[in-house]
Amino acid sequence: MTNSLKKKFFNDINFTILIGLLIAAIVLSAIFLPGGMFSAANIKSMAFQIPEFGFLALAMMLSNLIGGIDLSIISAANTIAIFTAFVLNGTWLPALPEEARIPAGLVVAILTALIFGVFNGLLISKTSAPSLIASLGTMILFQGIGMALTGGVSIGNIAFEFTDFGKAEWAGIPLIFWLFLGAAILLALLLEKTAFGRKFYLYGENKVAARFSGINNEKVCIATFVMTALLAGIAGLIVLSRVNSAKVGYGSSYLLQTIIVCVIGGISPNGGKGRVRGVFIAIVLMQLMSSAFTMLSLSPYTKKLIWGVVLILVLSLNHWIRNLNDSIKKEK
Amino acid sequence: MKFTIDRYQKILIFIIAAYCAFVGFVNPAFFSITTVFDIIRTSSTSLIFAIGLLVVMISGGIDVSFMAIALFGSYTTINIMIAYGIDNLAFAVGLSIIFGAVLGLINASLINWLKLPPFIITLGTQNLFHGIMTTFVSDKSFGAGVLPPCLNQFGRATLFQIQTGSGTIGLSASILPVVFVALATWGLINFTMIGRGIVAVGNDEESARRIGFSPARIRYYVYVWSGILAGLTGIVYVAQINALYPNKLIGGELPIVAAVVIGGAKITGGDGKVFGAILGVLLIYLLNSTLILIGLSSSWNDLFIGSVLVASIATSSYQERIRNRKNLIFTD
Repeated sequence: MTNSLKKKFFNDINFTILIGLLIAAIVLSAIFLPGGMFSAANIKSMAFQIPEFGFLALAMMLSNLIGGIDLSIISAANTIAIFTAFVLNGTWLPALPEEARIPAGLVVAILTALIFGVFNGLLISKTSAPSLIASLGTMILFQGIGMALTGGVSIGNIAFEFTDFGKAEWAGIPLIFWLFLGAAILLALLLEKTAFGRKFYLYGENKVAARFSGINNEKVCIATFVMTALLAGIAGLIVLSRVNSAKVGYGSSYLLQTIIVCVIGGISPNGGKGRVRGVFIAIVLMQLMSSAFTMLSLSPYTKKLIWGVVLILVLSLNHWIRNLNDSIKKEK
Repeated sequence: MKFTIDRYQKILIFIIAAYCAFVGFVNPAFFSITTVFDIIRTSSTSLIFAIGLLVVMISGGIDVSFMAIALFGSYTTINIMIAYGIDNLAFAVGLSIIFGAVLGLINASLINWLKLPPFIITLGTQNLFHGIMTTFVSDKSFGAGVLPPCLNQFGRATLFQIQTGSGTIGLSASILPVVFVALATWGLINFTMIGRGIVAVGNDEESARRIGFSPARIRYYVYVWSGILAGLTGIVYVAQINALYPNKLIGGELPIVAAVVIGGAKITGGDGKVFGAILGVLLIYLLNSTLILIGLSSSWNDLFIGSVLVASIATSSYQERIRNRKNLIFTD
């Protein structure tokens, strides 16, 4: 191995392992599920399923990168979708002409996401509340808003043009997958190539040091939670468009999965470490596993066991690799 | 040390009393001894869970696996009892507590070893424990006829009975474990060296280490205690509902966390009162079960609980921040 390659290998060992895992998963599923996993139909259906979960995972990634966690993403996504559905089916603003409903719905979705994000951000940055507990509170609150409005019933009957969006394709690939890809690339550029990204990583690594380096911590925190809520909102709209209705409690099992994806993707739960590309690969990996589970028709209990084992195993593996890395550095 | 009621608890008592007065005003049927006995019986399991979680939160950690531990302990124990025809309440409680202690030990070991946020680790073990139970023990439900009769006897037992207009009602024996657990935990926190250590580690781990406490050992005590209480609660729960399901309890962790936070446990650790946690559970329980009495549907539960929780987090964190800033302590 040349020196630079060696350096690359050890500098981002987590990413190397991820690529290895992805290849292993592809090879294994090609051997054990031939035809099933890599049929054109299944690949397309995976490409349709990745975005709604992927946007939530990106949202969770942002909150993990600043050393926190945002438990409210899923209830925010559902409540934003409910608000939008109310506009799209004409329950709200009934005077609006049919063709203006979709733009109005999008405006409502963005406004709601902004309000939710700013609320989270203000609560966490202005009162120094730990994001875990603060977002637990807003999770129940956002869910409560949706529940009080709908009574738990799913809100459907929305404009056809909107549901078409979730099914649309461009160049043989679902439009929503392009959207997800674009968002991931934009996020990666924002975090790795801009001044904001620098501040963001420093804030995640050490908040007190960031404050005394002249970074406006509160601004960074609010911006992060606004982005988180916007990503969650997009996930909510994708669900609304694909499922044709919005409902409180949809996708509650995603919370654990988003955390697992972030951990596998190399995001340190203590903050400040990890990159978008790792999470992107982890999302694809997760979808491969989910599809394989569905094909093997595993019971929900078995899935639970596997997710639990995977999370603990990956955390232990990361710990072990970190220790190994440290000891290599010491020897040098 | 005297039992004192601090200012925060006075506010909670005032809110609870005012709310009860309001409910009683709208619906006079609320004011009866039946209501009191009913509240005591149905909130007893939540109370024990909350007290166990309180100890963890005082130490600066969090546990979201206690429901899985309760389910694992009670379900496995009762399966064994059914298989071998054992009918002994002490055996049930004892074995379930042992399961709880072992699972708590696993939690503490993982947290000490991996040095990652306890939320993520216990979220993993929650799925792990539940997955192990349903995959390797059993995933069948058992009705009242199959369960050991001693459980139902305990579930229906009353300490004393009172004649009312609509028949006799009694004070459920479920209050006994609650009172015992509350007193034991109160004593543990206030009168033992372990309790001092739990508070010290929660306040500042480094300072606690320097005065001679071992944070790792304290975490073992804390999570094992939480596991023991969860094991006990599992049996109380099964005795009350008189049936055994492999999927109950799980998913009810976050309301308990909310109750303990509302009860005044410091979110960052180091402070928290058993009496406060009891008040927190009562407030959540009242909001959950009495909205119907004042003419609102139960869909409004989350909105009310979320608002109370966010308000309580915001005020307590903000006060803490003002105090810290005055002393030039920066946490973020």
